[in-house]
Amino acid sequence: MLSSLQSVFKIQDLRNRILFTLGILIVYRIGSHITLPNVNPEALMSFFDQAGGGGLFGLYDMFVGGAFSRATIFSLGIMPYISASIIIQLLGAVMPYFQRLQKQGEEGRRKITQYSRYGTVLISLMQAYGVSVFIESITTNQGLPVVPSPGWGFRIMTMVILASGTVLIMWFGEQLTERGIGNGISLIIFVGIIALFPNSVLDEWQQLIGGNRELIVEVILLGIMVVCIGFVTMLTQGTRKIPVQYAKRVVGRKIYGGQSTHIPLRVNTAGVMPIIFAQSLMFVPQTVTSFWPDSEIMGLVNIYFNMNSAIYQVVYAILIIFFTYFYTAIAFNPVDVADNMKKHGGFIPGVRPGKKTAEYIDNILTRVTLPGSFFLAAVAVLPYFIIKFTNVSYSYASFFGGTSLLIIVGVALDTLQQMESHLLMRHYDGFMKGGKIKGRR
Amino acid sequence: MSSQNIKTKIYRWHHRLNGSMTEYDLSAYQHQLSEIRAQITQIENRNNSALRQSAEKFKNTAHAGRSLESLMVESFALVYETIRRQLHLHAFDEQLIAGLVLHQGKIAEMQTGEGKTLAAVFPVCLNALTGKGVHVLTFNDYLARRDAQWMGPVYKALGFSIAFVQEGMSIQAKRQAYLADITYLTAKESGFDYLRDTLCRAEEDTVHREFHFALIDEADSILIDEARIPLVIAGSSASKRFNEQELAELAQSLDQKHHLEFDEFGRNFNFTDAGVQFVEQNLQCGNLFHAENIDLMTRLNCAIHATFFLQRDVDYIVRGNEIELVDGFTGRVADKRRWPDGLQRALEAKEKINKQSGGAILNSLTLQHFINLYPKIAGMTATAQVAEDEFKHFYNLTTVVIPSHKPCIREDFTDVVFATKSAKSQALIAEISAIHDSGRPILVGTASIDESEQLAAALHKNAISCTVLNAKNDTYEAEIIAEAGRLHAVTISTNMAGRGVDIVLGAANEDEKIKVVALGGLYVIGTGRHESLRIDKQLRGRAGRQGDPGSSRFYICMEDAIFIKYKLLDLLPKKLKSAAVAERTIQHIVKKKIHILQKIIEGQNLEIKKTLNQYASLIEQQRKVLYRKRKEIMVQKSGAEFYKNNAPQQYKLLRARLGEEQILNICTLITIHYIDKFWSAHLADINDIREGIHLVRLGGQKPEFEFQKLAVKRFTNLLVELETEILRIFNTLQVQGNKVDLESVGIKAPSATWTYLINDNPFENMFGTSLIGSANMGLSIAAAAWTPLLVLYMLWKKMTRKVMN
Repeated sequence: MLSSLQSVFKIQDLRNRILFTLGILIVYRIGSHITLPNVNPEALMSFFDQAGGGGLFGLYDMFVGGAFSRATIFSLGIMPYISASIIIQLLGAVMPYFQRLQKQGEEGRRKITQYSRYGTVLISLMQAYGVSVFIESITTNQGLPVVPSPGWGFRIMTMVILASGTVLIMWFGEQLTERGIGNGISLIIFVGIIALFPNSVLDEWQQLIGGNRELIVEVILLGIMVVCIGFVTMLTQGTRKIPVQYAKRVVGRKIYGGQSTHIPLRVNTAGVMPIIFAQSLMFVPQTVTSFWPDSEIMGLVNIYFNMNSAIYQVVYAILIIFFTYFYTAIAFNPVDVADNMKKHGGFIPGVRPGKKTAEYIDNILTRVTLPGSFFLAAVAVLPYFIIKFTNVSYSYASFFGGTSLLIIVGVALDTLQQMESHLLMRHYDGFMKGGKIKGRR
Repeated sequence: MSSQNIKTKIYRWHHRLNGSMTEYDLSAYQHQLSEIRAQITQIENRNNSALRQSAEKFKNTAHAGRSLESLMVESFALVYETIRRQLHLHAFDEQLIAGLVLHQGKIAEMQTGEGKTLAAVFPVCLNALTGKGVHVLTFNDYLARRDAQWMGPVYKALGFSIAFVQEGMSIQAKRQAYLADITYLTAKESGFDYLRDTLCRAEEDTVHREFHFALIDEADSILIDEARIPLVIAGSSASKRFNEQELAELAQSLDQKHHLEFDEFGRNFNFTDAGVQFVEQNLQCGNLFHAENIDLMTRLNCAIHATFFLQRDVDYIVRGNEIELVDGFTGRVADKRRWPDGLQRALEAKEKINKQSGGAILNSLTLQHFINLYPKIAGMTATAQVAEDEFKHFYNLTTVVIPSHKPCIREDFTDVVFATKSAKSQALIAEISAIHDSGRPILVGTASIDESEQLAAALHKNAISCTVLNAKNDTYEAEIIAEAGRLHAVTISTNMAGRGVDIVLGAANEDEKIKVVALGGLYVIGTGRHESLRIDKQLRGRAGRQGDPGSSRFYICMEDAIFIKYKLLDLLPKKLKSAAVAERTIQHIVKKKIHILQKIIEGQNLEIKKTLNQYASLIEQQRKVLYRKRKEIMVQKSGAEFYKNNAPQQYKLLRARLGEEQILNICTLITIHYIDKFWSAHLADINDIREGIHLVRLGGQKPEFEFQKLAVKRFTNLLVELETEILRIFNTLQVQGNKVDLESVGIKAPSATWTYLINDNPFENMFGTSLIGSANMGLSIAAAAWTPLLVLYMLWKKMTRKVMN
């Protein structure tokens, strides 16, 4: 472990990449603390303190590393860019023009990136308008306005600043992917989430010092966290390998080596998508009823449909299981895979290509996804149980599971893998060096 | 400034904004050019021996370590003067500038007939001063010989040794040729020789020196089109021989409609259920897709591929008892090129040639990686600009456009488009006979041997005499081309007449030339567009050389192979799809679409090349490690130490009986033999991995990383196994008399070489797979936010699928 860490810094290229990554991420973090001009940060903070964590805004705030609740220049984060590229991708399915672009290789990809960037500016301008109007509308409970001098001047300035911020982050992301280590966009989200960790740990520490929490509880919590991280890692990594053969045009002759070609079917193909969507959906009743705060339904919702109720958690878990299957179906289409294999002369030994293969893959996929979806649901509800039994803060609890932990573990694994591949490139030293071979192995 | 000029400027400016690196501004070279011109006037009165003496002086200063730049002006002037005296040619300013560009290690784009061969002499001489060997890589063997002999007097007058390498020359002759200051040869031959060197068992058998400078003629063809083809050296192997005849017959009995399905590009097939049943019944093999039947499947695939995809007289010709592959880019027989093993055998079975060829690949290397072994490269071609991105990406070469000495006055007419093949060929014959009556020479470029012969037959029927140039009669190439510019000449050719071919109007007869010029010069007709825009441009470039008049025109129809293969019809508006549409109305649209199509194809090819390159680069690193070691062991006989330490008893025993020298040789031979053997196996293994690595995308992993991980792991294991194996063999050696019989333990040298092609196909629809697992966290998060859209997307896909079926 230590020696591999050492070699990470020995290799110049890798060292430069890591330093570059850190540098960009620091700049990003500094930017997410620079408040928008003409906004009263104290007033804003007191508003969000009253509103508490959670809610759709809370979720969004988590993805942009708290920049939203502080109304900083990076409030929108990288999300508009991702949204734009998703929309362009989806357009490919509907509009022949985009479909053709996707098939045009390099040239087409350049065009698609270009369109995504234009789209990013457009989407961030629209979002920024919404944000500026929202900030204008809020006041603290002392009646202090967050924006002292609202109006079109403020709105336009906010739109320009926020859109520029997003474009800058987009550029950060691209630079990171190219010259840094790991996927730039994922890393930016990762850093935003992980930035909340020190604060919540500090909170816990103060609780402990202040005597509000027993030491033993903290130790047990720490143990649970370690177990959770291990569990999520397993969930993320778990795959079932289906062997695939290719009928080649050369009759093979092999001296060594083994079966190397396979389809890796993930236990959790859907990743974080089911949790995020289920979570967003769970906020809907509360948000809708909050428009009629005095109605009877609101009361019912408040009783039966708050985070602490059992019904809420059960519905939540069921939604996650359902969406796991839904997203798996989007991300992985056995018919496409079987068609593709057939086209290129690949087949699963003993299974006929085409329909039979699709059925075979579908069958296995359904079976590995079942435990996957249950685990995912368990991971998602765990933080609520932690809150319930230990009364820790919302942000601390979120590191025990749910979206945060899945994203952190997923991005960390991905980045580590990239580092590993840089390490691998290196030496094949020692071959036939003349020394005794036994000592070296 | 004319409006044309302004247009060009704007085009170039726009081009540059889009990241183009091409240089148009030659003012940087003007200064050097005037210096050279001044120097020429100084030396033009000196006698020959004085010139030779200064050449000697330059060589000495270069050896002493002076930079070549400081000698550039003087040596260019010297070469200019020598060319004038030896060849009675005056090099143009443009050629001198091209020489400067080439010396800087860039690509010079020069139009056809602008004297590339002459321009090359300047940088070649300058770089040859160091005596480290300059290679001029030509397009084919014939050009290597011709150029070397043509330019030879210049080099000799300056005291350089000059040689050319031809395929099939003896080792000694080659070695001698590579020792010369300047060597003309093909890139392929140089690469093959390098591969052969990597298998040599003694240093004396190797032919190459350390690489120094390569100047590449027709750079786009060699560096881009051919770079995809790995050079392969293969040796006879003891693998099982099957009777492919039976499978060839089975393949021929398959029903194209009911038993097989073909993909949209017509490049791959798969069985229908009925097809599988038919095959299983005929072969009595049980489930065809059972693991036991993999070899049978592979052979059957080869047989079907040979039957349905490889067309005689298009993809290959049969000459004597030999199948000769035709290169799609050059239209020539590709020397020593073959299809992959199984496919070649299946093809031989199809053509009933009983050769049973086959062998194990011992080593392979793409031309691209080979060229990059030269520390300095430069290139020239008439069609560089279209490929500037690739030159930059793969070779870090900048493109410089050299203006032509006299402006090109060739007229490029717009394409004539027809709905059907028959309409096209009627119009073609009418046009040829009309032009032919006037006496104007015509060159017709066709897509395949088959087509060239059919057209010739049709013309004969119409009492038009014509000459055919294709891979079948390539021995007469020089004569046919020499006559092609004469009055009344009609030459039907394949792509062969595309590149490096210089058609002289009136065949060097001045009176006839005047007549031909009066008629409008050479008329080039293309009977269809090629996949690559560069190939089309090359064909056009046959007319209008050196300011001669000329014209070119393409005749295309909706039934051309390129339209069908790439489904160009889909790009056309619906109302134009019906064959009955009047030809003239679709002209404009088709012309525009053709351009888009060629761009798409070029883009896809670049993609394939980039992927290929990514994978190959890693293997290249491993090859370098292994071959550095191999060379060290071969030259210094340093392998013995290893045996001495790990098998001390056997080593002592053998040394006592055989003596020091023999045991060193034995150690070297065993080590080298097993290095080659294991490397060959490693390559096969890597190919295996590469073929299916794209599947890991389905698990949210990156194919590049996974490939790298596997390849490195396998290579590390390989080295360990290699050490174990050579020790095992060493320990089993037995002394008989006073020597060891190495052949009895299977250690002997292989022979024979050939090359083949690889196809790489990444997944088409990447959206779904990019969502898998942790592949792209950001995308997953946003995808969740856009779920309502995703639902629509799913529905849309479901619906369109139904419509398609």
